[in-house]
Amino acid sequence: MNLLPSPAIIAALVKIGLLVGGLMTAAAYLVLLERWIAAWVQDRRGPNRVGIPLTKIRLFGLGQPLADGLKIILKEDFTPSHVDKVLYNAAPLVILAASLAIFAAIPFGSVLPPLGIPGLPDPVPFLVAPGLDVGVLWVFALSSIAVYGVLLGGWASNNKYGFLGGLRSSAQLVAYEIPLGLGLLGVVLASGSLRLDTIMNAQAESGVWYAFAQPLGFIVFMVASFAEAARLPFDLPEAEQELVGGYHTEYSGIKLLLFLVSEFLHMITAAFLIVIMFLGGWHLWGVTGAEQDIGWIQALLRFGILSAKILAVIVFFMLVRWSWPRFRFDQLMNLAWKVMLPLGLVNLVTVAAVEEFRPQLVAALGPGLAKTVAILIPWVACIAGWIVSGVFTPSGTDNTPILTHDPLDIERELADHERRERALHDDSTTELAGSR
Amino acid sequence: MDPVSTTPVAQSGMLLAGSIAALASALWLLLPKASDTIASRRVGALLGALALAGFAATGRSLGCVGEDAVFLTVAAVAVVSGLATIVTRSPVYAAIWFAMALAGVSGVLLVLGAQFLGVATIVVYAGAILVMFLFVLMLAQPSGMASYDRVSSEPMLAAAAGAVLLGLLTLSIGRLSAAEPAACCRMPSRVEAAAAAATGTVPEASPLPAESGGNEVAHLGAQLFGRHLFAVEVAGVLLLVALVGAIAVVSRGEATEADHRREDR
Repeated sequence: MNLLPSPAIIAALVKIGLLVGGLMTAAAYLVLLERWIAAWVQDRRGPNRVGIPLTKIRLFGLGQPLADGLKIILKEDFTPSHVDKVLYNAAPLVILAASLAIFAAIPFGSVLPPLGIPGLPDPVPFLVAPGLDVGVLWVFALSSIAVYGVLLGGWASNNKYGFLGGLRSSAQLVAYEIPLGLGLLGVVLASGSLRLDTIMNAQAESGVWYAFAQPLGFIVFMVASFAEAARLPFDLPEAEQELVGGYHTEYSGIKLLLFLVSEFLHMITAAFLIVIMFLGGWHLWGVTGAEQDIGWIQALLRFGILSAKILAVIVFFMLVRWSWPRFRFDQLMNLAWKVMLPLGLVNLVTVAAVEEFRPQLVAALGPGLAKTVAILIPWVACIAGWIVSGVFTPSGTDNTPILTHDPLDIERELADHERRERALHDDSTTELAGSR
Repeated sequence: MDPVSTTPVAQSGMLLAGSIAALASALWLLLPKASDTIASRRVGALLGALALAGFAATGRSLGCVGEDAVFLTVAAVAVVSGLATIVTRSPVYAAIWFAMALAGVSGVLLVLGAQFLGVATIVVYAGAILVMFLFVLMLAQPSGMASYDRVSSEPMLAAAAGAVLLGLLTLSIGRLSAAEPAACCRMPSRVEAAAAAATGTVPEASPLPAESGGNEVAHLGAQLFGRHLFAVEVAGVLLLVALVGAIAVVSRGEATEADHRREDR
């Protein structure tokens, strides 16, 4: 038996190391970025003091993540006495493991030029598990495993705030998985593959990013991924003004850190998916080209462009956080089931029709005009769907309370009160009768 | 390894019978009953471990269990979690063990190269159905002492039937593998298949011919919407009926509420 690992395994380990290290650092610095953006939006200075440790060099506060990390790691890891110990300890592990394992199927660049190492596939893809043909589904599966962390954390805490957070979270994630999947199906249909790298290549080759070819799918997917990442308009699971911290109310120290890191990882995942599936991945017109055999400069350029796009999407996430108030729970559900689900279906049908009749379009109009028409049809569907949903579900995100009767109708209030009293009385008498 | 000619059939038969008996009694001891003691459950756990080892040994002697460490690990996770699902007392823990069992099954499917099925198992069962279960369990908080929730109704019959079924399955799969070693035992894992493809030697009786590239999902899709289109359509209609039924039930509830209001006025 050959004990020396094969080059493919070593390459996978190197990729895993780079990815995990990069993601953890990114999560730490994204916290800093979030605080900076919060400060900028609220017109204050934000963290700008901590620089290089033991010196007086401030460096715009870039040392802040290190200080934050040390502080939270060195805090007491307190376990309340009323928790379910096993699940309480397992929940942060589950959520972090799932959020990191998602990245096995997410490409973080294009390809490296051939390295000439025997046993390695050439060119080397920027992807941990290049053999996985069902990358999109893998991402879906692992993000649904991450729900367990939230649910179990909330339940095991044995605390009303944690429990409410867990319940809200599971309802929200289950509801928004459907529009998320519908948005994603359009892309899968158009590219004909479940592999994220193939989806990127398809956009690079045609030069039409799916955000332009499927505007409705882009909107639906974007909104649903905000909800899946539990970012602010959808952050009911941990609404700090009402639930203290939601499902991680009872956690402290390193376990709390694991929850917070996973939350940022969810946001990074969402940004990755939005960029890869709708914003062309590493592709930029006239800069990157679309072919697969490339030099080192091209490879690094593509990596840089992908990272820049992801950072831009994350900054958008953070700006939205400070621009929108939180939804009420019924608004959240209305938006998912009455607005996003039908829009996602409209998008799916439009994309299916366009893809089905693309050969006829090309034959009738010629390739250039057919491409334009194939982009125009989804835009028409998008605008029409938007107007229809705006007309027919006006209360989807409306903030006025839904009243079933006039609040000043005293007679009705009295009648209601009397009816409730009577019901209560009836219940207690039947119970008494039963006990006798 | 040539499993059939070297293994005395009688010996593996004895082993299998012993494993079935051990598993049945272990299950009976472990299942929630009205008269539970810690000691009986410990004995049950020990017997269960022995029985599983017996089943594994039978499988090996029949030639159905390979040496792939990853496969063995995920299979053990699936089986042990499945057992834990039915013997655990807390409904929430049972759901968690069920999720573990699903993860093990999905791992088995991934090892065997059925990527789509493996990932779909997680998405559909663990991701949607079980989360719903957990949701309801947590809302209902079934930690009370209702006996019908916490005691299985026919532990002895259930344990015996389950163990016998498992034994029969082991036996029939073993027969299958004895008759056709290529179909059951020598299912090439992904790594082996990739190695074979790299060296240019394709194993002859490979059960998954379209394993390389993105063909597997496309192959599955073509099968589903070609040969099995009728079954897919029937399932679709069934789901639609359930959907319509659910809406009918809900809207009827709403109507009665409205009726109440009208009566009040």
